[in-house]
Amino acid sequence: MDTTATVETQPGVKLDPFKGVKKLPLEEFFTSGHRTCQGCESALVMKMMAKAAGPRTIVLGSTGCMYVANTTYYSTSWVIPWMHTQLGSSGSAAMGSAAGLKAQMRKGKMKKEPINVIAFCGDGGGADMGLSAISAALTHPDYNLLILMYDNESYANTDIQLSGSTPYGAHTTFSPPGATKRIMHHRWKKNMAGMLAAGHPTCRYVATMCMSYGLQGMNCVRKALSIGGPTFIHSLDPCPKGWDYDPILSHELGELAVATGIWPLYEVKDGVVTLYGKTKQLAEGQSPRLPVREYLLKQGRFAHFREEDIEYFQKKVDEMWERWLIPGVIPFVKDVEDERISA
Amino acid sequence: MGRLFAVEIVYRGIFQKTLAKNISRGIVLAAHAEGKPGISFGRYGDSPERNGIPAKNFAIVGTDDVTLEEGMAKYEPTEVDISIAVDDTLCKGVESWAWYGLQPINRLLKPGGALIVTSREQPDALIAMCHRKEYPYRLAIVKGTPSFSGLWVYKDDHTDVRILGAVAKLLPDLVGLEAVQKVILAEWRDPLKATSAARAYERTTTTTVRPDQGNPEKPYQFELPKWWEMREGIAIPCIRPGQPMQDMDNHKTGGFRPERNPTFKKFTTRTMRPVVNFDTCIKCTLCWLQCPDSCFDVTPDGLYDANMEACCGCGVCEAVCPVTDCVTMVNEVAFHDNASQWEMWKKDKDAYQTWLNGKIEHRPERSHGFRYRGQYEEQTPEMLEIAREG
Repeated sequence: MDTTATVETQPGVKLDPFKGVKKLPLEEFFTSGHRTCQGCESALVMKMMAKAAGPRTIVLGSTGCMYVANTTYYSTSWVIPWMHTQLGSSGSAAMGSAAGLKAQMRKGKMKKEPINVIAFCGDGGGADMGLSAISAALTHPDYNLLILMYDNESYANTDIQLSGSTPYGAHTTFSPPGATKRIMHHRWKKNMAGMLAAGHPTCRYVATMCMSYGLQGMNCVRKALSIGGPTFIHSLDPCPKGWDYDPILSHELGELAVATGIWPLYEVKDGVVTLYGKTKQLAEGQSPRLPVREYLLKQGRFAHFREEDIEYFQKKVDEMWERWLIPGVIPFVKDVEDERISA
Repeated sequence: MGRLFAVEIVYRGIFQKTLAKNISRGIVLAAHAEGKPGISFGRYGDSPERNGIPAKNFAIVGTDDVTLEEGMAKYEPTEVDISIAVDDTLCKGVESWAWYGLQPINRLLKPGGALIVTSREQPDALIAMCHRKEYPYRLAIVKGTPSFSGLWVYKDDHTDVRILGAVAKLLPDLVGLEAVQKVILAEWRDPLKATSAARAYERTTTTTVRPDQGNPEKPYQFELPKWWEMREGIAIPCIRPGQPMQDMDNHKTGGFRPERNPTFKKFTTRTMRPVVNFDTCIKCTLCWLQCPDSCFDVTPDGLYDANMEACCGCGVCEAVCPVTDCVTMVNEVAFHDNASQWEMWKKDKDAYQTWLNGKIEHRPERSHGFRYRGQYEEQTPEMLEIAREG
């Protein structure tokens, strides 16, 4: 679309994609000494996000593990400037900061230079509480900002209350399986990236990622920051505390989430959907989609599942791949396809 | 005034939260069965808990209500009759959420108090890990692999009831074995668990630790500014960018060592540490890149040296390493310092190989938590055998 007539967007930081893991900068902008769990993949997202963005970056963090654990009293792991913002306000904080920088530069109170603005939120802060503010930010094409949602599928910081991002059937503080009723959480996970991409046609970049595929994830961050305007990334982060697994499995569970097709990797750039990485291989049949049980039964949160629960989960994931208009992205089914399937 | 008893349980956050709760709750219920009022609670400052990062539970019991109320007027006990460490690597010291700096595991023990540790090590090995104390205290070992499980699936290997049996032996004025067994039967309805408690009671012996025994290091502490001493907006300084490293042989600089948060080091979270075979390393970068704690220093020769002050022992580096046995996780009890492995390797490569192989071959058993459904059922029989046979 052509918004140049009405919108004045400042040039973003020039960030070319990383060519390979051996070409990565050695500098860290989010460093050691945060009080996260052993094997915290969300901390890994912070580290890689900061590495991809580089030194000219401001990070805003809404309440959640990545606020509480990383910045206790007089203690921080951030090398670049970071500020806390309220639970539901990652969208408004990002937009306010980007607008403030733009105004300061326009008035000559600051040197004119591209500065990255990233606001992160957890799934509770993003998919539940902050959804309206994120939506509002994504409709403003004149500010350069990235909202990154690190999704560990529960309010893990406060001891695992279920969120709109918690998968079907998972054991949480709010959904303990009992003898009479085994599945206490029967809602399906929100499709955040698909919803935001479909609902904000002027937003130029929305992506999903998983830092088990670190290089691809960092390049998503770089694309989001350099394309111009507001952007959104949804990251799936295995969480040993909430998912109940040995932290040595953190990396493998991220890979399994993708390989089982539960977590599709894709980007929507200027309205064009592209599946990438392992997900692309699954879609093109180069690599078989693994059964979901290989992912589920490595986690204590699904340990109460019976065969019928695993089958239900598998059926829902199969539907996403076989019946959705765009597999893994848009959960609509075309009439003609319905007829074809019923025929 | 009557007598006030205080017991603390030091545990590894989420991984041992249910275990610690079972122990402190069991102590209070058993004391209650003998007519003594008590309260069991977690330290607020440790919340919200993480996995691995040390936390504390307390069981406070008085011989009467007034004594208990007087004791509970304090935020948390300043001295305890018994400290229980449900993981032996906690003996190296504790850097929790509620505290800045390193606390010795025996810090709150009264003179003559008892430290109970779950471990497969001998007393000498544990004494060497604990910081020195100015007066003697007693050490008791409940033999077994430290019990780890997550928040949702509990590993019921009888560690909780065996510790209750040991507490009854070490401090009979607090709870007797009979009361402990009564509570176990009421809570768990499992006669085998009551038997395990009795076996632990019979077997528990103590070693007296003298003031000249133990780790002589002074634990590090930080004096942090008060909030009114901070800058406008309560802003605090960022961490400085890091620096290239220097090779001690040729004094060339290269690679990168990040600056790290000085007020939280995280290594007391570690129960296993990675040992690296630098001779087989193919410099693929994955351990360095995928480490959530940025603990790998990049050396001038392009190798990756896990910094032992920053590593919390998650094991992701072992999981992502494509070379067989290049990165291996080894039980933390096998190490006595946080020295650089790369520097050790640079000094003498043959000696390093011998050291490395020794660590890998003789690594004491250790388990971190849930890996697959049915795993705990495979692991508990061995612990029940220890509970039965000692």
